[in-house]
Amino acid sequence: MMHDLNLMVAGPQGSGINFTSDSFAKLMTREGYQVFTNAELFSTIKGEHSYFRVRVCKDMIRSYSERIDILIPLDSKSVMLHAKELSKDGSIIYEENLDDARHAAIPYKDILQTVATRFGKALSEFNVMKNTIALAGATKMIGIDKEKLKKIISENFASRQKIAEMNNAIVDEVYAEFKPSKTFDLEPVTYKKRMLINSTHAVGMGKMVAGLKFQSYYPITPASDESNYLETIMDKYDFVVEQTEDEIAAINMAIAAANTGLRAATSTSGPGFSLMVEALSYAGMTETPVVIFFYQRAGPATGMPTRHEQGDLKYALSAGHGEFPRVLIAPGDHKEAFYDTVEAFNIAEKYQLPVIVLLDKAMAMSNYTVDLFDLSKTRIDRGKLILKETKDYLRYRFTDDGISPRSVPGVKGGLVTIAGDEHDEDGHIFTEDADNRIKMMDKRMNKTSSILNEVPADMKVKFYGNPENKKVIVSWGSAKGPILDAMEVVKDVSLLQIRMMEPFPVEEVMKYLNGKTIIDVEQNYSGQLADLLREKTGLEAISRIVKFNGRPIAFEEMVQVLGKQKLGKREVLSYD
Amino acid sequence: MTSTAATPPAKPQSYRTNVEIDWCPGCGDFGILNALVLALQEMKIPNEDVVLTGGIGCSSKIPHYVNVNTLHTLHGRSLVQAQAVKMANPRLEVISASGDGDGLGIGSAHFVAAGRRNVDLTYILFNNGVYGLTKGQASPTLPYGEMPKSIETENLKFPVNPLFLGLASGFTFVARSYSYNIKHLKETLIRAMKHRGLALVDVMQPCVTYNNINTKEFYDPRLYDIEKEGWNPVASNEEEYKQKLPQAVAKSMEWGDRIPMGVFIDYQTETYDQKLQKLVPDYGKKNYVMEPIDSAGKPLNDITKLMESFC
Repeated sequence: MMHDLNLMVAGPQGSGINFTSDSFAKLMTREGYQVFTNAELFSTIKGEHSYFRVRVCKDMIRSYSERIDILIPLDSKSVMLHAKELSKDGSIIYEENLDDARHAAIPYKDILQTVATRFGKALSEFNVMKNTIALAGATKMIGIDKEKLKKIISENFASRQKIAEMNNAIVDEVYAEFKPSKTFDLEPVTYKKRMLINSTHAVGMGKMVAGLKFQSYYPITPASDESNYLETIMDKYDFVVEQTEDEIAAINMAIAAANTGLRAATSTSGPGFSLMVEALSYAGMTETPVVIFFYQRAGPATGMPTRHEQGDLKYALSAGHGEFPRVLIAPGDHKEAFYDTVEAFNIAEKYQLPVIVLLDKAMAMSNYTVDLFDLSKTRIDRGKLILKETKDYLRYRFTDDGISPRSVPGVKGGLVTIAGDEHDEDGHIFTEDADNRIKMMDKRMNKTSSILNEVPADMKVKFYGNPENKKVIVSWGSAKGPILDAMEVVKDVSLLQIRMMEPFPVEEVMKYLNGKTIIDVEQNYSGQLADLLREKTGLEAISRIVKFNGRPIAFEEMVQVLGKQKLGKREVLSYD
Repeated sequence: MTSTAATPPAKPQSYRTNVEIDWCPGCGDFGILNALVLALQEMKIPNEDVVLTGGIGCSSKIPHYVNVNTLHTLHGRSLVQAQAVKMANPRLEVISASGDGDGLGIGSAHFVAAGRRNVDLTYILFNNGVYGLTKGQASPTLPYGEMPKSIETENLKFPVNPLFLGLASGFTFVARSYSYNIKHLKETLIRAMKHRGLALVDVMQPCVTYNNINTKEFYDPRLYDIEKEGWNPVASNEEEYKQKLPQAVAKSMEWGDRIPMGVFIDYQTETYDQKLQKLVPDYGKKNYVMEPIDSAGKPLNDITKLMESFC
């Protein structure tokens, strides 16, 4: 019996590798298993080598494995590159007869010819369906009912009935003809309904719960998957997704929509965020409740657009000229991405400031199973928004908590004057009075102390593991997954996940880290969170475990490094 | 030391605030402010239903002088924020003000993209050939080879023609007026606001401090009204629009002893809110701003079906 099974589909971009892995992941989700996927794509449309991993287990899994049990190569290069990762009992499903009983040689050509003849078509038209042969071969080896696979294929090609029929005929043929000498017996599972999603879906659904009415974006990998998902549901949820001419327009439109009274957001990645920075500062000055979803990818410059990195923490914290308050939240998994999204809008409106939700490519492109969200845990708080007639209105009125009542255009008696220059309580800019400047700076900057007092503790940090452990890992974002998985093997270490980096929750962090041996784990070059920790608390990590080769951390390399007798000051992970 | 007290509120129904104006005496911007206030008075749109955006520059300070909702945005972003305001709440009357540097230099990408959308709003371009607020550098509309007194070397760049670019980008109402002809400017602004779609009003607006070439004395004898000379800008269908557009472009290129003003094109076609309804059938039926998104803190949107779609 296998505890977890790891399947890899590898081949040239555009050869159907994502269809194959997605279908397999969906199928296993419906069987009740927990599924974790990892997509390593080349930044191109067709031809370059790419690969998808699907890990399946009856228990919770949060990372990919270095081990491959079933390899589906769609070209010979994939065999060359990945055969070395095959486990001792693993199988390659391949077209050629590899003359090795443990591998699964399927007569691809014979099967395609049989089905092509049945449909009265040329063999050449069926070559693109080779991946279906391999997929059916894999599911047969695992012992999955073929009808379940056919159902998924039919759903995938719902609008192309004929294609679905052809692919399903291939499934029948494989199940009839292919007699594997080896099978894979996964530990049985009790069925539980789960979603198979990535963070772009989680954020998108969070935005719907939050009542988002305006989303602007400029296409960029990996962030635009989220906007494209929203475009598929905007007719049903009655809101606008606007593709703009550039990211400068995207953020300015989101700001203007927010100042008109809508819940508004924009989503981007590093290069796009750079173009948004002037307007981020404007949002701080104008006290605009705008939310920016920042999906990090490997930089600098264009970097590696389809690869993973957590290299923008310090940048997101400090971007923008001048000093203004902001909130930065970093979810560590899809579930947190959903709930944090809803809260991000509440925080933005309650404190009237820009909120950055910092995600990454691994979260954007890694589908894995998540329990259905508990909607009773979500809430909406619009702060001091005024939508009814008012009088004696001043947009930037001084108040005890520094937060002014917020009217919007269309409200009788509540004319709004918004200005990016320093302004009076009424929003006019013709004072550069020194006393007014001090009062306005205090008004804006003092919001951070209210936020630290009022945001719930588990939005700020989360602690995992035995509190008695001397060693505590400090980490953030998607690095949490492999760390938690590794902690099931390496028991003498705990994890403090920092979720809100600005304002920095010094009190909570000190509570968990003071007197501990701190190990920093991050997916960037320098260990940016460790620097931040030192700046804010004076605490120093004894080791910085970093990975910056563009790939997320694998389960085994995490276990190995945490199990070391003596960690170096700097440990660089490099598995790809 | 100036007072920290807030500016006293303007009288109800007045479209002027009590904010002191800091433009130079004689500035062409005054004419635009006056014409805009007169136009708003004549149209009697409630103050709270009007939004005026500005970018950065002398002209872009105009929001502070008009007693409506105002967004004083970033340099070059007046038009882009104005479009989002209108998309967010199509019930609002939206006006965007911008200088020629703001709109055609740093903001030119938005100018072109705005034409592609055709959001129903009025864009007023304060065109004086210089960057006044930074002491008179050459702007994108300054003619080639000219050297106003504020710059040290002659202008080596060809000018952008706002009318031509507006027509090419798809603005459905394109006009030119003059800040010292308040009557024409007021009438043009009213026509622009009444137009359903994106309207450009290019206003010749002398900078009395830095541009000693394009002055009142320069414009007065040269400007002529194309509509008084028989041009009918109205295109009532696509065919007529295609036929009139090249003629309007030809007129827009006139510059020299005679400079054309008036409305060059006035074409009623699908506006962006109508186009959005193709993707979001209920768009514009409810007021997004006033529509509640929660009931006592409980979200109103139900995502059960979305979650099911991933199972």
